[in-house]
Amino acid sequence: MTTPTTPTPTGTAIRLAGVSKTFSTSSGDVVALDDIDLDIPEGGFVSLLGPSGCGKSTLLRVIGDLVTPTTGTVEVAGTIAAEARRTRQYGMAFQAPGLMDWRTVRRNIELPLQVQGVGRAERRQRADEMLELVKLTQFADHRPRQLSGGMQQRVAIARALAMQPRVLLMDEPLGALDEMNREHLQRELLRIWRATGTTVVFVTHSIPEAVFLSTEVVVMSPRPGRIASRIPVDLPYPRTDETRLTDEFQAAERHVRERLHAVLEPTTAGL
Amino acid sequence: MSALVPVERPVRLSRGRGRGLLSALAPAAVLGVVLLLSWQLVVLVGGVQAYLLPAPSAIAQAVVSDAPALLSAARPTATAVVLAVLAGAALGVLASVVIAMFEGVARVVLALVALAGCAPIVALAPIFNAWLGSTSIASKVAVATLSVTIPVVVNTTRGLLAVSPTHREYMQSVSASRRQLLVHVRLPGALPALFDGLRVGATLSVIAVIVSEYFGGTSNALGVLIANTAAMSRFDQTWAAVFVASLLGLSLYGLIALVERVAVPWRSATSG
Ligand SMILES: Nc1ncnc2c1ncn2[C@@H]1O[C@H](COP(=O)(O)OP(=O)(O)O)[C@@H](O)[C@H]1O
Ligand SMILES: [Mg+2]
Repeated sequence: MTTPTTPTPTGTAIRLAGVSKTFSTSSGDVVALDDIDLDIPEGGFVSLLGPSGCGKSTLLRVIGDLVTPTTGTVEVAGTIAAEARRTRQYGMAFQAPGLMDWRTVRRNIELPLQVQGVGRAERRQRADEMLELVKLTQFADHRPRQLSGGMQQRVAIARALAMQPRVLLMDEPLGALDEMNREHLQRELLRIWRATGTTVVFVTHSIPEAVFLSTEVVVMSPRPGRIASRIPVDLPYPRTDETRLTDEFQAAERHVRERLHAVLEPTTAGL
Repeated sequence: MSALVPVERPVRLSRGRGRGLLSALAPAAVLGVVLLLSWQLVVLVGGVQAYLLPAPSAIAQAVVSDAPALLSAARPTATAVVLAVLAGAALGVLASVVIAMFEGVARVVLALVALAGCAPIVALAPIFNAWLGSTSIASKVAVATLSVTIPVVVNTTRGLLAVSPTHREYMQSVSASRRQLLVHVRLPGALPALFDGLRVGATLSVIAVIVSEYFGGTSNALGVLIANTAAMSRFDQTWAAVFVASLLGLSLYGLIALVERVAVPWRSATSG
């Protein structure tokens, strides 16, 4: 089933085929991912939702070539994931902002460009654009530790966007924020996504967040980590705070909730 | 964006750093004055012989009257100490980078270096004097450099190895090279630890140079002055030289703190 609403996916940005990942630990093997097939369209905003430990972070890291799958293939932007990472197609933001204390906000955003070998003048210009985008221009010369958690997370998002990545991978980037800031950043994220047209894979454990942001919600089930269901979200963009109040939104939320509970129940019964 | 956007306030910069320093130093200053006064009283009222313990006033007098001799003796000592700190910092950082490159064995090497740091390096002074000549400052610089290098290596290597997983993962995600990880993450991340090591090393280097000079033959230096005046029972002069040596140590400590504030500005960016 395809989404009839904007933006229209034009191709496949990410393709996983038969991906599994087994971690060997001292207390035995952990099957974090089991036989995952997943296509993510170019320009899509796909959320990975599921109980903790179901392999969301592992799946995101497999897509980003930070974790090598035990079996299966990962294609990103037409090549293998390793090549996509080598050619710097990814922007990543994790639950912890992970900014460098020794750099100012601006120089943090410049870091990926510096790694890429972009010249000083262009670096600065791009960083200024990103600062504008996340509305932190006036804090350009602050140190990360002088900023609140929400502002730090915005810097991390700006840093992830600075390289104008084809694929944006985000692991619960808003998880640590209070409700107000969280919803504010959700709106900003949608604005940025629509302005840049990147493909986003977004890990969250919040149902309303997944529904509000995504073109598609992928519900995962634990032990072993599998894709339980894929739910297209047919709400038109731009989505605003009013969207959250519509019947369609609440119906979508209910639908996702049911699918998630279907995943949770056999687990709790099995315990 | 509209005024309805929740406004987040940045954590306020801790102002009053100066005031904080002052209020931290005030009790120490008061205690110091009390101790000096008690010392003076004990010596005067108790009738302590000057060769056992001169009164602070006598030491102060010696500092003033021997000022030219003290200054000229302090010069080679200070030179040796500063050279040792610079060389020890450079060698220490270099060694740390090399050790941290071999992550598999780094911890073992680090443990060995830390073990070596438990040995009293100054005890090597006569040996170094024999190797490099006791009358030049070379032997002093060598012993002191060793004293500085060890704590710098121990601290800096620990700093270099302690990369936050998030930082490591981020650098990996942008396909950064090992060299870029070193330059942009590991080295700046290890700077605070480097300065911790340097502060310990600086204190040790003053000790190393002075003690080295005790065995030091003819050259004019604070350690020589201390040894000679003590041998002649001119203890007011000995104490005056010890006082100057302490001043030297304190200034070095202050200088390092100053450099640290410039080199590691993020350490003071929050009150924490
Ligand atoms: N590096 C690792 N080593 C061993 N086990 C791991 C590792 N990373 C994840 N796991 C295990 O894999 C499973 C999935 O973890 P994760 O992907 O972090 O789940 P989620 O992000 O959905 O909470 C968990 O059981 C976790 O303990
Ligand atoms: Mg996770």
